[in-house]
Amino acid sequence: MDNIAGSKPALTWAVHISAVLLVALWVFPTLGLLVSSFRTSDQIAGSGWWQALSTQEARMPAIRLKGEEALKDGVFMIEGNLFDASGAEISRWGINSKDVEAFEAGETTALPSGEALTVEADGTYRLSSTQSMADLRMPRVFVTAETPPQFTLDNYDTVLFKPAPGQSVGKAFLNTLTVSIPATIIPILIAAFAAYALAWMEFPGRALLVAAVVGLLVVPLQLALIPLLQFHNAIGIGKGYLGVWLAHTGFGLPLAIYLLRNYMAGLPRDIIENAKVDGATDFQIFTKIILPLSFPALASFAIFQFLWTWNDLLVAMVFLGTTDNEMVLTGTLLNLMGSRGGDWEILSASAFISIAVPLAVFFAMQKYLVRGLLAGSVK
Amino acid sequence: MTRAIFAGAAVVALAAGGAFAQDLKFPVGEGNFNWDSYKAFDEATNLDGQSLTIFGPWRGEDQALVDSVLAYFTAASGVKVNYSSSEGYEQQIMVDTQAGSPPDIAILPQPGLISELVAKGYVAPLGDETKAWLEENYAAGADWAKLGTYKGKDGTEALYAFPYKADVKSLVWYSPDNFADAGYDVPETMEDLKALTEQIVADGGTPWCIGLGSGGATGWPATDWVEDLMLRTQSPETYDKWVSHEIPFTDPAVIEAINDFGWFAKNNAFVAGGTAAVASTDFRDSPKGLFSSPPQCYMHHQASFIPSFFPEGTVVGEDADFFYFPAYAGKDLGKPVLGAGTLAFITKDGDAARAFIEFLKTPIAHEIWMAQNGFVTPFKGAKTELYGTPALKKQGEMLLDATTFRFDGSDLMPGAVGAGSFWTGMVDFVGGKSAEDAAAQIDAAWPK
Repeated sequence: MDNIAGSKPALTWAVHISAVLLVALWVFPTLGLLVSSFRTSDQIAGSGWWQALSTQEARMPAIRLKGEEALKDGVFMIEGNLFDASGAEISRWGINSKDVEAFEAGETTALPSGEALTVEADGTYRLSSTQSMADLRMPRVFVTAETPPQFTLDNYDTVLFKPAPGQSVGKAFLNTLTVSIPATIIPILIAAFAAYALAWMEFPGRALLVAAVVGLLVVPLQLALIPLLQFHNAIGIGKGYLGVWLAHTGFGLPLAIYLLRNYMAGLPRDIIENAKVDGATDFQIFTKIILPLSFPALASFAIFQFLWTWNDLLVAMVFLGTTDNEMVLTGTLLNLMGSRGGDWEILSASAFISIAVPLAVFFAMQKYLVRGLLAGSVK
Repeated sequence: MTRAIFAGAAVVALAAGGAFAQDLKFPVGEGNFNWDSYKAFDEATNLDGQSLTIFGPWRGEDQALVDSVLAYFTAASGVKVNYSSSEGYEQQIMVDTQAGSPPDIAILPQPGLISELVAKGYVAPLGDETKAWLEENYAAGADWAKLGTYKGKDGTEALYAFPYKADVKSLVWYSPDNFADAGYDVPETMEDLKALTEQIVADGGTPWCIGLGSGGATGWPATDWVEDLMLRTQSPETYDKWVSHEIPFTDPAVIEAINDFGWFAKNNAFVAGGTAAVASTDFRDSPKGLFSSPPQCYMHHQASFIPSFFPEGTVVGEDADFFYFPAYAGKDLGKPVLGAGTLAFITKDGDAARAFIEFLKTPIAHEIWMAQNGFVTPFKGAKTELYGTPALKKQGEMLLDATTFRFDGSDLMPGAVGAGSFWTGMVDFVGGKSAEDAAAQIDAAWPK
């Protein structure tokens, strides 16, 4: 008995290990994105996100001293702290870029221009001179310091409450909902009727129609973008929400019909024939029997279509405009990179906001998603 | 008194019918701006209730700046402006014009792309009057007018695009403090620059930070180097021939410029991280080496926009500064300046669109932006003292003093080369290919 069952644990292990690997593959980048979204742009440019979680010793870029001078006992003094936030601990420092670790914390040195400068381990400095330093070009200090982990909420604040023009994530969030909810409902309505007809109504050319729908599945939608937009312009729809709903409906229908037809065709023939014998019309069968039984397939397609329209950039960019009232979330995310694509910290914060909805949808309805994946393949 | 002027301006604006409750960045009538040009435009234009869609390349902070300029256009003309932009604006404008739903005005930095749109008949010509205006009022005006002149659908040349906003590319950025610490002086000639490069290596430092990485556009910073060196080793006429493919990439003149770039980039001791790091370093991260501790490099060749990628808190003019990428003293080629810029053109003709082009001819349209940040203009009518920072003023004057101005060659070349093989060819060149092989590879992609 043992040797028969012996292969089973090995397979289970293989399944478990690949599941763990897949989870790691997904979780690590997400975690990195999350950590990055709480860091400033300089931090992101300076070190990796995995280093943000522990205390780091690093040579920091030069900090220029600033402050008002005060006269004490005939000596002019400028005092202050190099760091805005406390916590960093300086080990060595310097004033010349050729020798950035010349002095220990607490040492005093003379600047080339004659002033005396002391930097303590906690970042406080004292610059003193017997003459006024009003005209002095303030010196730079290079420090090597240990800094504890530091995080900021500024990125989220900027994205949600103080967006630059064209970067309003909140507005784009609403725009995306305006696009994706109708663009999910309309194709389901149409596809459910079509699927029933193709699965259970006898009429000539049915097989050809099904074949045509399957054929449409492989047509790349990019092919249709410009002709379809030309058509929209010609019939007066132009660029706008109506256009993008219709486009999403058109592009989503082949998959929807195919998926739902396969599911409905797999429903027990007896129920439907019984209903027919009892005198039910096709419409009654559809609404009273087929629809309730097809709920898992409908739900799973709704999830697919919603996630696809939520994450879509191309169709929205072509059929919708790019003004604030029309910009979808994915488009705004791209714009958040700035004119030259350098604002990573803003991007990571808003990316997190944008994946919130797909995540919620996924976790709330994942059992339908799995059933839906099988609906098209296994009967 | 100011109050009176302000009230007067408001009355004028109301009379012209253009007063909108807009936030104007600088109150009309205050400061040293050319308000006369604004008022004249205000009185001449009355298009209440019309609207105008503008599609441009500026996003983020830049969009806030362009919005501040457009507010004046709206206030003066009464035209409601919808400005928008998107990351893939090159593709967006192609899709929109072909499908028949273009914006009224498009503003793009690629003359090569505009010439394609013009050739397909999607752009309205601006007329000879505007062309004459450009030649007269822009420094090196004939060069600028030529930049916006393309062959239309019927094959005749005309002015289609209006240059507005320029970028100066011939700049070398450095940290004055680091130069002072090491005792280096700003070089005045290319010979000095090369001597300084060797001097820094002799002192144990690394002279240059060069980064070519830019996602799908990796390689473009190297094209700026080659173009700059081309202008410093060859006459402007040779440069024009090169850009229009009258001489091929494999011409000795071009090979010489590419090899001159190789002198800087293909020497492990000259570049931070060695030659291998050149192609893999992102151009946005590259300048940060100037400010690291200790400095990874002393100089960085890049256009005027680069301070937005300096570490936060870096003050241009104090912590960082730039000097003109110098010309060879041994060659009598004057002071050539390489630049780039954006061009506005009409994709859907109408009164509001025409009025907008007229607005760009007023000094105020330039002064509002230059008084803030990130804008230089070759328009001689705009007052240089209005530049928001000394650095901008220096760049603006560089543009006005230029004996030769040439536009970024890779933007003028056909897309397959200027946004394709020229980039990849330069990456291969830095990666070890000879200049001859790289040039042959670039040239092979030129559309026949």
